[in-house]
Amino acid sequence: MHDDPGLQPERTDLAWRRTSLTLISAACIFLRWVPHYGWFAGTLVAASLLVALGIALTQRRRYHRAASGIGGAAMTANVRATAAIAGSVVVLAGLGIYTVLFLPLQR
Amino acid sequence: MTGHEETHDSSHAGGEAPDRRGLSAWALGGGTEPDARFTLANERTFLAWIRTSLAMVAGGIAVEAFTSELFAPEIRKTVAVLLLLLGLVTAGGSFFRWLNVERAMRHQAPLPVPLIAPILAAGGAIVAAVLIVFVIGRPA
Repeated sequence: MHDDPGLQPERTDLAWRRTSLTLISAACIFLRWVPHYGWFAGTLVAASLLVALGIALTQRRRYHRAASGIGGAAMTANVRATAAIAGSVVVLAGLGIYTVLFLPLQR
Repeated sequence: MTGHEETHDSSHAGGEAPDRRGLSAWALGGGTEPDARFTLANERTFLAWIRTSLAMVAGGIAVEAFTSELFAPEIRKTVAVLLLLLGLVTAGGSFFRWLNVERAMRHQAPLPVPLIAPILAAGGAIVAAVLIVFVIGRPA
């Protein structure tokens, strides 16, 4: 597929997968909010997992794009992917702040 | 000398899907496609920043979830919100950092200084200082 001894497409693929795994662990810690904040915390768990799943499902396409870019094809930076993941983290953190500040604790 | 000319032959790069091209053209602001290795390295650095911001977010969630028997509610919520806010700012900043680096590379300009590095350092120090004050001031 490509002849880059620096293995750039693989390293980038692994960086995306680590990010996806980090999102899954964030979802696991969000689970600890469910007894206290109810369904809204459950929504945050589901949202984190969905972003992680979204990364996993689009990974193959990104890898092939990177490999053909290393192989010499024109490769424009992936604005949509970076904007989507950064935006997701901003929204998750924002909803977390909203939860901590404004939602009542359930007993 | 020869490596320099290679970057100039693809000023209007073809081979892109039209929808992606519109967004990229608007966001990346002209220039020429940099070496794919640099674009990928920039993407990995962005992802490292995103994981850092996710670690802050996870820390904030954990403080709110696990320290209810340790700290009074105001203290717990202050530290949790500070960490979540730090994660939010780092995540947003990492995207603009990525975009600015990509724009600089497209114009063969020097890379910008990372603004989020001092923000993260100062924010982390503030959270740690707040925690130290609360731990010392906590009734034994």
